[in-house]
Amino acid sequence: MNKKLEHQFVTELENNQNIVHKVCTLYTNDRDSHQDLFQEITIQLWKAYPKFRGESKFSTWMYRVALNTAITLYRKSKRTIQTQDYESVVFKIKADTYDETEEQQLKLLYGAVKQLGDIEKALIFLYLEDKNYTEIAETLGITEVNARVKMNRIKNKLRTILNP
Amino acid sequence: MMDELELLKKDWQKKEEHLPKLSYEDIYKMIWKKSSSIVKWMFYISIIEFVFWATINLVFTDAESWELFRTLHVYEITLTVTLINYAVLLYFIFKFYSNYRKISFTDSSKKLMKTILSVKRTVTQYVWFNIAIFTVSLVTGLYGSVRYGPDSKKILDAAEHAGNQTIFWILTIGATLVMVMILLLLVWLFYKLLYGILLKRLKKNYEELRQLEI
Repeated sequence: MNKKLEHQFVTELENNQNIVHKVCTLYTNDRDSHQDLFQEITIQLWKAYPKFRGESKFSTWMYRVALNTAITLYRKSKRTIQTQDYESVVFKIKADTYDETEEQQLKLLYGAVKQLGDIEKALIFLYLEDKNYTEIAETLGITEVNARVKMNRIKNKLRTILNP
Repeated sequence: MMDELELLKKDWQKKEEHLPKLSYEDIYKMIWKKSSSIVKWMFYISIIEFVFWATINLVFTDAESWELFRTLHVYEITLTVTLINYAVLLYFIFKFYSNYRKISFTDSSKKLMKTILSVKRTVTQYVWFNIAIFTVSLVTGLYGSVRYGPDSKKILDAAEHAGNQTIFWILTIGATLVMVMILLLLVWLFYKLLYGILLKRLKKNYEELRQLEI
């Protein structure tokens, strides 16, 4: 690997790091795990980078590698300490606005999303990132119809979690 | 629900400003760290398996053993088994390597998981093959030593004396079978545990995607 490629990659990742951070936020529950996963995704992105030929946008390509790392390659650590604290930091749920309906609703929603399975989280993530069903389907390797079906099931599941 | 998800989406896209920010140097350092992914683990475990079974083969087939096989009249069959063994070993190493190379993180999630599972299947097949070979060697070795070994006459005479040879052979075969079964059970448990821990999550996620397509 030459210096130019390294520089190019690190710059691209630095500019697009939000995508990786968001994946980490969704799939981990504490700061250490967040960092672990971020590092693993970075390693996998770097390993795959020589094959990235710019057919798609760097960010589009990142979604795939980042999600694949989170749902297939990464072994969740057993650490689940300070879940609540961590989430309130990452999601910036403000204590003073806690009684506002919208704020409370969001808190519940984020809590519900965190309870979903790995695949379900991946779908929700891509949905929240404003990806269309074609992209969601391609990323996960399922048909578009099934991506829609799955999304509807997830919506139902979230509804059940929110209104037990 | 639709409205709530829209609310979530709007909020999610605003979150960016609160996310951690890593510097160029932080990221640069990260690209040189070692991966701790399950694929890496699987690779190491597989290498250990290949080495382990190859060593067992070498240990059991040194020059002295060959002499022994000759006196026990199992030379030909052992030679055949050993040759088959090495041919199959080469085949498995090739298959393992080519499957391993196919693992690509830029594939779709489903395809990636499928490739990883197929690498695992290759290794498992290799292990079962070795157990089969091991069993065949054990049985021929045992047969040879009872039939032609230095004490075989004594053993067979004692068997004749105690009752008849048929019962003796049935008991010998029975004992061998039990030994093999225990061995198989141990190996099976070991693999269930090893790959169970390593691939449980991946298998679950793969099934979830696969079920959707049925």
